Amino acid sequence: MRVIEKIIKKPWPYIAGGIILALLNITLFAFSGKPWRITTGFLYWGMGILEVMGVDHLDWHYFTVNGNQLSEGKTFFNNEYTVINLSVMMGASIAAFLASEFKWKRIKNRKQLLFGLVGGVLMGYGSRLSFGCNIGAYFSAIPSFSLHGWVYAVFMFVGAWLGCKLLFKFLL
Amino acid sequence: MLEVRIDCMHEACPIPLLKALKKLNKMNIGDVLIMETDHSCSITNVIDWAKKQGHEVDYAEISDGEWEIYIEKRQ
Repeated sequence: MRVIEKIIKKPWPYIAGGIILALLNITLFAFSGKPWRITTGFLYWGMGILEVMGVDHLDWHYFTVNGNQLSEGKTFFNNEYTVINLSVMMGASIAAFLASEFKWKRIKNRKQLLFGLVGGVLMGYGSRLSFGCNIGAYFSAIPSFSLHGWVYAVFMFVGAWLGCKLLFKFLL
Repeated sequence: MLEVRIDCMHEACPIPLLKALKKLNKMNIGDVLIMETDHSCSITNVIDWAKKQGHEVDYAEISDGEWEIYIEKRQ
């Protein structure tokens, strides 16, 4: 009983998490032919909403290069990324509930809301320029022997360092 | 001895840690910093960090999922 409690309530060592993530990504790649990506799924949802609103974006430059278009037979809502993104949210919720750590969080004030939204737009835009987020452009790129994963890694550290400096100086 | 409170409710990493770092820099040895937080990660990372810096640290859960972290500046 104690062991089970420890497993579901306490954080696991980084190395255990790393190995499990690697095995899961290999499994996903073996069965679907594509490595794990996250933000691409969110982009497709956004595009799906724009489509419903009547915005025609199929001829946008982004969707004509680098294999950014939808896989054949898939739609902006019905695709592999929707399944995996919903699964990630479900898995994370299950883990939080098991550890009794689930909690609704409030927005502190307008400043936090504003910075959150601006940060989200910057991250979303940046993820499109860099072929993905830290999952698609880093975690899945490096095992694919793609150089852009290593470039991403270097600048991720630069960005985190710069972000902390800016935060420390101007926002706190 | 001075007691300083910082409000880190509804704020996520790394804001609580950076706020604590900034406040502690301006405090004198022996002063106590009290951080209010509802971010469970802070219980791990703020406490580990403060211990590593050589400060005296303790914490208490004041209500469901809300904590106070006490840091006594030692250096």
